[in-house]
Amino acid sequence: MKRFIVPAIAVVLFYLEPVFGLFSPLDINGEYRYLIPRFLIMYLIFISIYYSRNRAMVYALLFGLLYDVFFIDIIGLYSFLYPLICLLASYIVKFIHQNLLVTTIVSLVLVAGLEFALFQFFSFIGLTDISLQAFVSERLIPTMIANSIFLVVLGWAFKYVINARLLQRLNQPN
Amino acid sequence: MPQFFSNKRLILLLVGVIFLVALISFSLRDRDNASLPEQIIKDVVGFGQSIFSKPTQYITGVFDNVDSLLNTYEENKRLKGRLEEFAKLQADVNDLASENTRLREVVDKQDDLRKYEPIQATVIARNPDQWEEKIILDKGEVHGVEKNMAIMTAQGLIGKVVLTTPFTSTVELLSTQNPNYRVSAMVTGEKEVFGLIEGYDDERKELILKRIDSNIEIKKGQKIMSSGLGGIFPKGILIGEITEVSTDDFGLTNMAYVKPAADFALLDHVMIAKRVMTTVDGTDGENTAIDEDES
Repeated sequence: MKRFIVPAIAVVLFYLEPVFGLFSPLDINGEYRYLIPRFLIMYLIFISIYYSRNRAMVYALLFGLLYDVFFIDIIGLYSFLYPLICLLASYIVKFIHQNLLVTTIVSLVLVAGLEFALFQFFSFIGLTDISLQAFVSERLIPTMIANSIFLVVLGWAFKYVINARLLQRLNQPN
Repeated sequence: MPQFFSNKRLILLLVGVIFLVALISFSLRDRDNASLPEQIIKDVVGFGQSIFSKPTQYITGVFDNVDSLLNTYEENKRLKGRLEEFAKLQADVNDLASENTRLREVVDKQDDLRKYEPIQATVIARNPDQWEEKIILDKGEVHGVEKNMAIMTAQGLIGKVVLTTPFTSTVELLSTQNPNYRVSAMVTGEKEVFGLIEGYDDERKELILKRIDSNIEIKKGQKIMSSGLGGIFPKGILIGEITEVSTDDFGLTNMAYVKPAADFALLDHVMIAKRVMTTVDGTDGENTAIDEDES
């Protein structure tokens, strides 16, 4: 049963993202603030760092593809960016000391990078024309605040689950 | 970094990038229908999504109920004040409706642009990255939803269907930046003036109504409704209210900023308006009538 708990959490997070998306944009004093849930990619970064890079990239490709087809109808965008982020995460932790705080910061920096890459892409194909300044104040900062709260609350749980699975795999080589 | 960019990896990377660009350009094309694998994925994911979003909506519903319970006293007082006004209005509406049917019988005209069958739907997901203004509904082709149908809430028009699968449909909201998104609208008043809703001003949070005949004067505060002349939308769905009138870039026609009547945030239950009268291609959308010819 424990085998399936890592992908099962990924599925739950995948479905939770749009549910949180229903509450956004928040209307604060007449100004819209977009909170973009990025739970799944942060979880995948954790898998990539603590468990196995290849496993994380396979999940990233799969969920990226589902995301593309179901939500944004541009196939190839998330299915490219998600594995790329997992790959970057695994390269970064080779050079720095690995602990929960560092992993959290790395995940948040990568999520900010993902947001920025998406902003560049959507500006490029002309689906949005907001300025960089508006992007930072309306989207990036609220998104980062919301996601860091999520990660601070649940980051240790991710690590705990992934470590439990890793221990189990080491004990049973099959 | 010789070991990172070994030959095999470099080739793999290049092939990957080419494949990616090909896929993106394929999906950015104006596609009329989702391909079969896409439809299957959408239906399966949509089914899972509705399992997750329905309990959430139940919970938010409970909070809403508690919230409105707390306001009951104030609201009741306010509503009582308007009750008499409503009774009179109701009588007027009944009178006009019966007169309208009578006159229709006289001229022997049954079809009406205003008539539509509402299909109730629940929003199961909102595009979580929110770059495109899209929501996904739990009703699809088997429930009679077709591309380009109008989506409304109790307050007014919010968007139109852009993609359907057997059990889900994707809706693009009016607040989109998509330049190909048009809705045929009219300014109500003593004289109806027609125009097209084209574009959304992100800073003002208002829609832009263009191509209004400059000979006819329009004023701030007039209501905008769907005209039904775009071919697919029924007539008379409220869109919003004019906040500012100016001339367009070339000075030939007028344009107006329209404050939308409906709220695009926190959508949960919406209505799909299926027009009773025959639909044709027009400004509301394209490639619908062609599909009907083929089938």
